[in-house]
Amino acid sequence: MKRGLLVLLVVILAFSAFAKTKIVINSNASDPAPREAFKHVVDMFQEKYPDYEVVVNTFPHEDFKTLLRTWLNSKEAPDVVTWFAGERMRYFAEKGLLLPLDDIFSDKPFEAYFPASFKSASEYDGKIYFLPFTWYWWSVYYNTEVFKKYSLTPPVTWSQFLHVCEVLKENGVTPITIGTKYLWPTGGWFDYLDMRVNGYKFHMDLTAGKIPYTDARVKKVFEYWKQLVDNGYFLANHSSYTWQDAASFLFRGEAGMYLMGQFIKDVAPAEVKDKLDFFRFPIIDGNVGVYEETPIDGFMVPAKAKNPEGAKVFIKFLASKEVQDMYSKELGRLAANKYVTPPDAHAQKGLDLVLASDGVAQFYDRDTDPEMATFGMNKFVEFMTFPQRLDILLKQMEFQRRKIFK
Amino acid sequence: MKKKWWIPYAFLALPLTMYLIWVIIPIFQTVIISFTDWDSVSPSYNFIGLENYKMLFYDYYFLTSLLNNIKWMVGFVIVAIPIGLGIAMLMDQKFKGNKFFKTMMYLPMTLSFVVIGEIWTWILEPNHGVINEFLRGIGLGNLAKPWLSDPNLVTYALIFAALWRQISYAMVLFLAGLQSVPTEQVEAAYVDGANSWQRFWYVILPALRPAMVIAITVNIIDSLRAFDIVFVITRGGPFYSSSVMANYMYIESFNNYNMGYGASIAVIQFFITLGFIIWYLINSFKKEDNL
Repeated sequence: MKRGLLVLLVVILAFSAFAKTKIVINSNASDPAPREAFKHVVDMFQEKYPDYEVVVNTFPHEDFKTLLRTWLNSKEAPDVVTWFAGERMRYFAEKGLLLPLDDIFSDKPFEAYFPASFKSASEYDGKIYFLPFTWYWWSVYYNTEVFKKYSLTPPVTWSQFLHVCEVLKENGVTPITIGTKYLWPTGGWFDYLDMRVNGYKFHMDLTAGKIPYTDARVKKVFEYWKQLVDNGYFLANHSSYTWQDAASFLFRGEAGMYLMGQFIKDVAPAEVKDKLDFFRFPIIDGNVGVYEETPIDGFMVPAKAKNPEGAKVFIKFLASKEVQDMYSKELGRLAANKYVTPPDAHAQKGLDLVLASDGVAQFYDRDTDPEMATFGMNKFVEFMTFPQRLDILLKQMEFQRRKIFK
Repeated sequence: MKKKWWIPYAFLALPLTMYLIWVIIPIFQTVIISFTDWDSVSPSYNFIGLENYKMLFYDYYFLTSLLNNIKWMVGFVIVAIPIGLGIAMLMDQKFKGNKFFKTMMYLPMTLSFVVIGEIWTWILEPNHGVINEFLRGIGLGNLAKPWLSDPNLVTYALIFAALWRQISYAMVLFLAGLQSVPTEQVEAAYVDGANSWQRFWYVILPALRPAMVIAITVNIIDSLRAFDIVFVITRGGPFYSSSVMANYMYIESFNNYNMGYGASIAVIQFFITLGFIIWYLINSFKKEDNL
């Protein structure tokens, strides 16, 4: 009997000790390269903090998006989750589902780690809820071999861009590849065209639901887009393809360009990686400032985390220069920590592109309401398939905007 | 030894509890949620009465999804059942390699719709997909279509992919049904000079009635449940053209944070399905009365 009790006690102790030190992380880093890189981050943490046991659960991106809110509401919430800065984070912070991370910055302020401009994308109601980890730029990626073959140089203006498209098309190469099965690559086109035509302020107001989609200035955005659609510059049947499927057309040289984030390199085969380069999205109106898309990826702690202390230790570790340095080197992304230098020439070029800009946006689906994003991006795909429906599509988007942003 | 009365109940207790917790209670919860504007994240919600249901009738995408479900139903009933029956009749003959062909026909049944979806994504791919390559290969290149990108074709392409499995399902049901067809009657008809068509129509088919009712009901319910294959191949796209009710419910509930609205779609779908189940039960009771 006594022995039984003793065993029970030991088991209970073992479990409580186990529970105390376990940190559960749910991650969306499901592509092989980021998954591997994040594993190295965890290994580094384990080495430095042997008292903690880190468990990483990795989920495919699209599944992660739908599962996240279930976890945040669950009693079995993970301790740390990956996520996106901006509206996407704010949506949960507003509902009290996230733990404020301000005490992590009690000795050194947020600005001592990250560029001041990251703060607004990481806070809600004066509190920090999001730890910026990496970020990347969007731009027009192109296959250098294809450009060389047809003696093309990266275009700077809209007319030069149209010229490049025309030359590629004449030579039987799809000028622009895009995969719209998961909708969001269309958001990049809308954002860039809107920012090039109407500027940052307008774009932010539009995504915040303050401007009608039937505004003439919005229509103008689609008129530029329409030039590309009408001329058949986009990959045919793009709605059959995921963004990765579409990228393979660029890798194989069957397509010339792809408006995409830096993570396109994660899925590029080794022999193609060096053949990819990028240029700034062409300038449409010289009087409008130059703005870029730079989504920030990072981490949050659910309000119901079982081990918030451990989570914060881990989060603080993630903020450090050494960790961000290692991770960004491995993936060629830019580290959020401002003391980390760009890992390679490619990333330096990306950073220069952003530094030379007048401002940055997150992304359509990170800047606007989730429902508006789904609806809007479906309409973008519809527009790219039936450009003649433009007027009715804008009316439908406007109807939806009014319904959502009451 | 005296039988203990509670033993069967003890065996049933666990599965019944689980069924109650994970199936029955959620059905009622769904009905309650369908009267609210819950966004699946907030701790609180408002009761808005029948507002969600009213909205459904103005929702173009819901109506598209409903219409697509009807297309699925028609496809599953008027295509899968006759073909499944035909194959079952063939497989019921004695010929060399009969077992092999039966197994081959049965094989799609063993695959989940997720796997089938992955396979058919490649088969239907517009550029290098098997179907289009085949059509071009035999000189019918003009029939090669963007199966998954054309909003007018995509639903039929998906139904076609699903039929691949559904036909083999119908075949299995009819093969089982054929076992119960009394051989004496078929032989008697043969002796009476009935030709093979008459034997099929007047002897075999009436004997297959129970199998037929099951096959039709199962196919109708399966067509209403259609989700996984749509989710894997198109996610309801392009722009909702291939969406079915289950898929639209998923998008509204989980992508768009409209749990209340999604629940009202689920309830509608539930009642339509229930209608067919009741129809099936009435049919099967009728049959018992005749005995």
